[in-house]
Amino acid sequence: MTGFRLTAGGLIDRDTALNFTFDGKAFAGHQGDTLASALIANDVHLMGRSFKYHRPRGVISAGSSEPNALVEMREGGRKVANTRATMIELYDGLIARSQNRWPSLEFDVGAVNSLASAVFVAGFYYKTFMWPKSFWEKIYEPLIRRAAGLGVASKEPDPDKYEKAYAHCDLLVVGSGPAGLMAALTAARSGARVILADESSALGGSLLNENEEIGGMSGLEWAMATLAELSAMPNVTLMPRTTIFGWYDDNIFGAVERVNDHVLEPSPYEPRQRYWRIMAKRAVMATGAEERPIVFGGNDVPAVMTATAMRTYANRYGAAAGKSIVVFTNNSSGQRTARDMQAHGINVEAVIDARLKDDVIVNVKGGKRASAVELNGHRVIPCDAVAMSGGWSPIVNLMCHRGAKPIWNETIAGFLPPDVGPAFVAAGSAAGHMLLSECLADGARAGTMKGKVPAVPKCRDEAFAITPLWWVKQSTGKAFVDYQNDATAKDLPLAAREGYRDIELAKRYTTAGMATDQGKLGNVNAIAILADATGRTMDQVGTTTFRPYYTPVSFGAMAGPFVGHHFQPVRKTPLHDWAEELGAVFVETGLWMRSSWFPQQGEDWLAAASREVLATRSRVGLCDVSTLGKIDVQGADAAEFLNRLYCNTFSTLDVGKARYGLMLREDGIVFDDGTTSRLAADHFLMTTTTANAARVMSHMEFCHQAHWPELDVQYVSVTEQWAQMAIAGPKARATLQKIVDGMTLDDTTFPYLAAKNITVLGGMTARLFRISFSGEHAYELSVPADYGNMVARALMQAGEEFGIAPYGIEALSIMRVEKGHVAGGELNGTTTAGDLGLGKMMSTKKDYVGRMMAQREGMLDKDRQCVVGIRPHDAQDKIRSGTHILNKDDAPSMAADQGYISSVAWSPMLNMWLGLALLANGRARHGEVVKLFDGLRNIHSHGVICDPVHYDKENKKLHA
Amino acid sequence: MPDLFTRISALADLAIQGRFGADKGVPGVTLSLRTPSCIVTVIARKGKAKAVADALKAMRGAVVQWAGPDQYFVLEKPYDELSKKLSGIASCSDQSHGRIIIRIEGPKVRQVLAKGSPVDFHDSEFAIGKSALTQMAHVGVHVTRIGKDAFELSVFRGFSESFWEWLTEQAEEFGYQVV
Repeated sequence: MTGFRLTAGGLIDRDTALNFTFDGKAFAGHQGDTLASALIANDVHLMGRSFKYHRPRGVISAGSSEPNALVEMREGGRKVANTRATMIELYDGLIARSQNRWPSLEFDVGAVNSLASAVFVAGFYYKTFMWPKSFWEKIYEPLIRRAAGLGVASKEPDPDKYEKAYAHCDLLVVGSGPAGLMAALTAARSGARVILADESSALGGSLLNENEEIGGMSGLEWAMATLAELSAMPNVTLMPRTTIFGWYDDNIFGAVERVNDHVLEPSPYEPRQRYWRIMAKRAVMATGAEERPIVFGGNDVPAVMTATAMRTYANRYGAAAGKSIVVFTNNSSGQRTARDMQAHGINVEAVIDARLKDDVIVNVKGGKRASAVELNGHRVIPCDAVAMSGGWSPIVNLMCHRGAKPIWNETIAGFLPPDVGPAFVAAGSAAGHMLLSECLADGARAGTMKGKVPAVPKCRDEAFAITPLWWVKQSTGKAFVDYQNDATAKDLPLAAREGYRDIELAKRYTTAGMATDQGKLGNVNAIAILADATGRTMDQVGTTTFRPYYTPVSFGAMAGPFVGHHFQPVRKTPLHDWAEELGAVFVETGLWMRSSWFPQQGEDWLAAASREVLATRSRVGLCDVSTLGKIDVQGADAAEFLNRLYCNTFSTLDVGKARYGLMLREDGIVFDDGTTSRLAADHFLMTTTTANAARVMSHMEFCHQAHWPELDVQYVSVTEQWAQMAIAGPKARATLQKIVDGMTLDDTTFPYLAAKNITVLGGMTARLFRISFSGEHAYELSVPADYGNMVARALMQAGEEFGIAPYGIEALSIMRVEKGHVAGGELNGTTTAGDLGLGKMMSTKKDYVGRMMAQREGMLDKDRQCVVGIRPHDAQDKIRSGTHILNKDDAPSMAADQGYISSVAWSPMLNMWLGLALLANGRARHGEVVKLFDGLRNIHSHGVICDPVHYDKENKKLHA
Repeated sequence: MPDLFTRISALADLAIQGRFGADKGVPGVTLSLRTPSCIVTVIARKGKAKAVADALKAMRGAVVQWAGPDQYFVLEKPYDELSKKLSGIASCSDQSHGRIIIRIEGPKVRQVLAKGSPVDFHDSEFAIGKSALTQMAHVGVHVTRIGKDAFELSVFRGFSESFWEWLTEQAEEFGYQVV
């Protein structure tokens, strides 16, 4: 043995040297090492500082339960904090740093906390930093957080990719130890689709680190042969490096696959991690059992670790935790450890088996590494590492994720998983079977999909027996229950004395069982000590609640590929290219990108939008309105269906005509509006607002399926089929005439509200509607989407002689405010048809959604806020959306509030700011001077209430 | 009916021929655009589900894909012709320009689809000719299996660029080609 690297054995490739740094110091390890095993082989045990007392800490475990050896991995945008050194596969160029220490790991100023530990008991923070109250947020909390922190997250963007994926199987096996392998093999041989997942870098579970004998070969050889058979089967998916982190409804499991955490940099084509949802018809929890520490003085000194961890470092990684060791145990694991260590040439100074004699360890000497143990009879045994085994806790977490509680078992002194039904069963030591033969048989049973359970290979069993020893009360040094939170054995009786007897309260009071390891090692010890302190049994105390995630999951994995511009999909209209060619500025409207304004040289948005309004109102403008929802409604009962959906009537609409419709919610509030046209007796085309398109569709489905399944009606979204453009202005008809086939457009052939199928440009299918949102003589033209850009360009060419201008939704919005047309600001989920001035649309001759509820007293109250126009009192003033309206002489207060401004626009036609507002009893108040209060910007001014129609009140332009 | 006018696909600028992503020998998947002459939504009228199913089965030259209860996408038959033939038993809506169909095939096709959809596309669960309505990357997708390792993904035209970007990114690790 050179240093602490054993000369032989282990699943490491001794021919490769992997260079890495820890806290800036260079080391080397081998392929197959973890960061923890490589550090141990380099005689580094000090890997971190504890949370509260800043005590030196080393590894306790060799797996995902590790509470101490938490490090910051990598640098820059790839840096990740609080990763467990025991789970990090070593690669060449790895960079890791210890955390929670200052200025260095070797010399940490925070360690003075340990001297004052008498005051730092559980509840210290709660009791000490209570007053003055204002100090908490600004002073105490930041101070405490800095002193008692974990790692520091990177603020740079993560350059790597993350993915999401789904998988399906007949049987999901969680854990690839003897029970898991046997279950997977049994199910796979019967033809089932099997997924075998394990959090470790290699499959095989405990067979990778224990000396076993199965079927006449070593356990490792049997595992490799079994995995070879499994990997050759097309119905089997092997998923190493995959943590099943949660169990959810319908037997869906969440998992994270660490695809590329074991390389320096992932290929640009591959993700770092993949977040899985696995739908399993059945699942087997073969997660094994976790070895518990014993609670004794100095059980946190570096080089004190669980016996299994010590065996794993030696057997799997060829790394010796020490050269002379002491074993402290209350079960059969101790003998096995001594035997394995001796086989590796390590001196076993003593096996202190609490079952045999009254000997116990009361303290471990040594600061940054164990140097001796002190027994209760003051005997001191020099050593450089300590293996401890306090018994075994079946890893029951997944089965408890949906609320079931585990059940205490005296024989193995551990909690067994609950029975959660046949779709998810436990097998092997996760089910409390402590003998290898039982694990294999249990795995075969769990993996049998139907018929007889097959025979399993013979194996050698290690006897198992345990006599609980939870806490060495004679301990002279600090005895830790929960390493990560620095909770000691004494904290639990203290919690009980202060009234926190319930395990859930004791957890919060002492913090035992919190943080990144969630008490994987310490919880059962904490329960036992609390039980002892309160005179209860383990059953009576019970466990805290198990919740996903089993181990921490990175935000990157949860976000998956949906970051940056992929956060949500982008939806482009069929006229996007046309608008882009003309220099449009786009704005996100829901998922849509809409052309917002078309700036010419030097114009800001207001200048551009104003010019577009003037061009449209004086000549002609073209606007992309493709985003409005379009729904084909057909069937014998289509008209009746619309009668019931809209508050106004559609059955009386003539074929070839359009009508404005208003839809209410069940509660009588306005839901959506739009024009709906009748293309044939049994065929309507409904339009919805852009924002509500999907909601209206769901509303229709609900009403049809739940309320009126008897109606013969069919509907489908045709939004994306059509490119739709508004052509508005005095020259709209002349422009359009140039591309319309075989029809002279006039008030007879195409009157206001006409809606017809036509052709344009010599045979192209199109739909033309004479409707207007701008208040101008206007049309909307629909053509099949792929032709959209071409037709828009043709219209621009046709309108050139008239001075046509493209306009965006800013100009559209100005024009609708000028005309007093309500939109999103007024259709805001609080207004009735009456509030909007549309009360007359509500039919009294038929029933419709929202009719009854719209009749409620409060909905008809004359003092309700209703839509009015508003202008600044001083025409030079600006008014702003969101500004509150008060009586002229009132001071601002909630009680005095009269309403608010819902929409504003700069009107190039009237050369002033205009708005729409919702004002109490507003229709009776036209002409009134009111106080305007913008609390956000602290602006006080005056406005005048007026009719909502600011421009062209007589609608002369619409019919011009 | 041949198109009188030149159709410009929403993916015209994106779906460029070539090999992309990792080079691992045979491309993991091959992507192409399928542009049927027509796509029409056909929904059976009340009580006419069987009549519609039978009529579609008997219709020569039509590609019929399930698209919901008593609802179909019928490809390659013009809207006018279908409306006439199914008059009184079904409602038809032209969607020829409203949807983009991406064909994806190759040995890794299921691995790529699994990154987006919770549907089980395994051979034992999803036979050739079967369709499903699902979501991938927040976009509604109509999926049809058209061959052993070949599927068609139909999405709203407006989402197609976004969807194409996502899909090709998912295929990168296996290497993909666009034809």
